[in-house]
Amino acid sequence: MSDVSADDAREATACGYTEYVDGEVPEGFPKTGVGATGVEADIWDALYEIEDPEMPVSIVDLGLIYDVRVVEREGEDGETKTLGIVEMTLTYTGCPARDYLENDVQCAILAAGVDEASVRLRFTPEWTVDMVTEAGREALREFGLGV
Amino acid sequence: MPDALNPEDLDAEQRAALEELLFRLADDEYVHGERLIEWQIYAPTLESDLALANVAQDEFGHARLWYDLLEELGHTEAELIWERPADEFRHATLVELPFAEGDWADVVLRSYLYDAAERLRLDALVDTSYAPLSDRVGKVLSEERYHLENAQSWLDRLAEGDSRDRVQDALDRLFPHALSLFVEPEYEDAIVDNGFRTMSTADLRIEWLETVIPYLESLGLDVPEPDEVERPSARGRDGTHTDHWDELAAEFRRTYDELEAPEPARIGGERV
Repeated sequence: MSDVSADDAREATACGYTEYVDGEVPEGFPKTGVGATGVEADIWDALYEIEDPEMPVSIVDLGLIYDVRVVEREGEDGETKTLGIVEMTLTYTGCPARDYLENDVQCAILAAGVDEASVRLRFTPEWTVDMVTEAGREALREFGLGV
Repeated sequence: MPDALNPEDLDAEQRAALEELLFRLADDEYVHGERLIEWQIYAPTLESDLALANVAQDEFGHARLWYDLLEELGHTEAELIWERPADEFRHATLVELPFAEGDWADVVLRSYLYDAAERLRLDALVDTSYAPLSDRVGKVLSEERYHLENAQSWLDRLAEGDSRDRVQDALDRLFPHALSLFVEPEYEDAIVDNGFRTMSTADLRIEWLETVIPYLESLGLDVPEPDEVERPSARGRDGTHTDHWDELAAEFRRTYDELEAPEPARIGGERV
């Protein structure tokens, strides 16, 4: 966690109707790909290259990626195919960059060398600003946003 | 509680029940959002304009989450939004009505009636047995909270002084249509028995009435007697709508129709 306590952040909040700090980070989040190996690690690396369209911070450091896995399945032609699956969330449901991000993630999965890619949206657990990693916080601070 | 269900687990009746529930959720949010954007640049203050734009964006986002789940069941976006016959939309008539011209009290009161119902409905879905729905409800519920706060903070102010008459007019006009939110679904028994929704529509209606009536009365408003109001002939939920809906549907689909969507258009109007 950062050196900014939840209480400090609340006091610094300008708008009474927006909560910038919203409780606890569920266990195991944010996911950063630590310990991933092989093609899954390559997918994580590619995901780190994708930045949020509004801020110069990786979507991994924003805490948007919930799972990366590669499975094998039999294609229609009987050949074994590799399928890369990324589960991710959005900061809010109406995110106008949804298609853009899904497409970037799709490309990142394929770039890691799998046969097929699947991007699945998940909204549990709910994303909060507390899911931003320490590296993400630094990138945001440098950009001029206090988190 | 029934076991968690996924799309591949559904039998024909469960599927029909779930679709009815999802169409109501999605169509309500989509059409409500569609009407709200008419206030863009016309709301009384810059802040209220932005707030309403945000609410509309959320509603479109939520509609999309619910339509996604219908797509998982085999529907396509084109069919759901752009090509579905207008009389197959299942939203309540409350959200399709045009606003009385320039009447901010209409959008405030309508939003309150709708958002109060929306909160209760989502609360009754938090423990849904349908796994893909369960994943999404919490996030939507936490976004909806702000909508209700925004509507109530405006309503508190409008109900003071001269503007109260306008709120009362809006209430008399909109209340019968708000009741259409609670028309019982055809598959009500299957929806409840399968645990898709954990509260019956009849109980949701009671809870909504017990929420909105005391609050509106505390503002000095006269709430029509729910069982005595004259109900509009259009029921919304069964596909019957007011004439206003045909106009709105034609309007939001005009661009799609003109684009002849399957053909890519190019800047300058050339077609490939």
